[in-house]
Amino acid sequence: MNTFSPDPPGKIPLPRRLFNDFLALSVVSFVCAAIVTWVIRAGSPYWMNVVFSYCIGGMIMVFIQLGRWLFWRERRPTFWPFMANILAGIVLGYSSGVFLARTVLGMPMEAMRGNFSAEAAGIWVMTFLVGVGATWFFWNRQRVAQLEAQAASERARAEAVEKQALQAQLQLLQTQIEPHMLFNTLANLQGLIALDPPRAQHMLDQLIQYLRATLKASRAGSTTLGGEFTLLEAYLGLMAVRMGSRLQYRLDLPDALRDLPMPPMLLQPLIENAIKHGLEPKVDGGRIDVTARRDGERLSVTVADTGLGMDEHGIARHSEPGTGVGLANIRERLAALHGADGNLTLTANTPSGVIATLTLPSAP
Amino acid sequence: MNTTVRALIAEDEAILAQTLAQSLQRLWPELEIVGTAPNGYAAVEQALALRPDILFLDIKMPGKTGMEAAHELTDEWPAHLPFPQIVFVTAYDEYAVDAFEHAAVDYVLKPVSDQRLARTVERLQARLAKPQSAGSELERVLDQLRALVPAQAANAERLSIIRAAVGNQIRMIPIEDVVYFEATDKYVNVVTAEAESLIRTSLRDLIAQLDPAQFWQVHRSLVVNNRAIELAHRDESGKITLKLRGRKENLPVSRVFAHLFRQM
Repeated sequence: MNTFSPDPPGKIPLPRRLFNDFLALSVVSFVCAAIVTWVIRAGSPYWMNVVFSYCIGGMIMVFIQLGRWLFWRERRPTFWPFMANILAGIVLGYSSGVFLARTVLGMPMEAMRGNFSAEAAGIWVMTFLVGVGATWFFWNRQRVAQLEAQAASERARAEAVEKQALQAQLQLLQTQIEPHMLFNTLANLQGLIALDPPRAQHMLDQLIQYLRATLKASRAGSTTLGGEFTLLEAYLGLMAVRMGSRLQYRLDLPDALRDLPMPPMLLQPLIENAIKHGLEPKVDGGRIDVTARRDGERLSVTVADTGLGMDEHGIARHSEPGTGVGLANIRERLAALHGADGNLTLTANTPSGVIATLTLPSAP
Repeated sequence: MNTTVRALIAEDEAILAQTLAQSLQRLWPELEIVGTAPNGYAAVEQALALRPDILFLDIKMPGKTGMEAAHELTDEWPAHLPFPQIVFVTAYDEYAVDAFEHAAVDYVLKPVSDQRLARTVERLQARLAKPQSAGSELERVLDQLRALVPAQAANAERLSIIRAAVGNQIRMIPIEDVVYFEATDKYVNVVTAEAESLIRTSLRDLIAQLDPAQFWQVHRSLVVNNRAIELAHRDESGKITLKLRGRKENLPVSRVFAHLFRQM
């Protein structure tokens, strides 16, 4: 059936396509022969008209396909040129089909000339209508299939985008609640339940607060500086229970800055770095000071630790494979949110450790 | 068991050390906990001083990791004494767990469940009940540590030239000229017959780019070009040192890597 359709061949295997075409040709031929025999009343017997129909229809198919192959090859034809191709196919196919049928039936050739009867005109008109009709039908079917395919690919793209967004969110969440941290905290909790129930209760409260704040932050587009500090306090509280005297900390947030908007997940990675690369691997531990200040239209938050620090190349002395991703992520997000106005700097603390400073624009 | 079994716990988080001690006390009342070490250095020091029968080693500790501490102990442990049974303790970490399973080491996961710990205790009791020669447990631990040394990737990119900065110049050192690499604090010292140069990398990263057929790790801080080894000398305690072609100094070989120098 692809004969009339402008769809480039190749999707359906060739034998199957030929069979389909033959089937369509047969149906059309029998119907046309019936019309010629009993409607137009050409006077020739039905079986003879069937042979004529087959030959004419077949030749039209051949010429249309030939034209299509000559002019478009694998490209998609445009409507009007393709219609012209069909018209030419019909004219050439009709003439050569009649010639072929007469040869097959052993009829004299001269009978086809000069015999421009009403019947012949009728057959011409019918052939033309059938040809154009079939083409019209398949062209439209093609358009519908094309639109459907377009809609499907559109849907697939939308799904992919949604999946990516979800994945990004999940990744963010995973970087926040690190399994190692969670299981270590649970292990401490398990121990404290037996050793010191009131402290266990306190630690559980902090864990709940931390998990709740983290989940909320990972969903929200923006939070407040106060909200972020609450999260940091819960996190540092948990770490302080685990690390005991090896971790001291102080959070300094002036009340006036508490309600300032703050993108979520920017500060916590800095605290995590300070612990993971600075204090946790240091035998004697140390302290973390988090300070928020506003200077005119700029808000700065510093995270200062007294841990192992960085070497002269700015790389953590205590590093594991895959590190450095956290800072890159923060910088990327800062750039996306604030362009050149947001930045993150790392400097060495004295006598040891790192000072991370996050600077954001802030409306006064 | 005619004498008390003694255990040392190395764990940087005090609550976890205490919790493990209590669980052990519950499951194995006769076990004597001789101490808790809060970091990797203390773990090695206390193990050597207290000579426990069992050593619980947290993997992630400040100073030295549990793995590094075990590695060091295999070199420092007195040869006439049985090596302690080692149980690694780790929080969720699927890579470590896979490696532990593969190396058939004893390990427990934090939070420690009593059932899991009870199985470990049974295994330890069974092993300690068997009379054993001084070296057999050491050999077992060495095999485990060898299995835990990360395998070199077969198809990794190989270094052919080492580029080392010396002042304003970059010294180009063909890889076959290197006698050995030695890890220092933050650098790797590239030693050839004539010179030494520092490059800024970790030994671990470097090893991944070396041909394992030519470069052997013989110590946690040493990788040697085996074509530059003249002979390996074994002393009466079983310690191996390497004599090199073109260098005066000898290099120590860790017990974990001693199998490289068995005769054919």
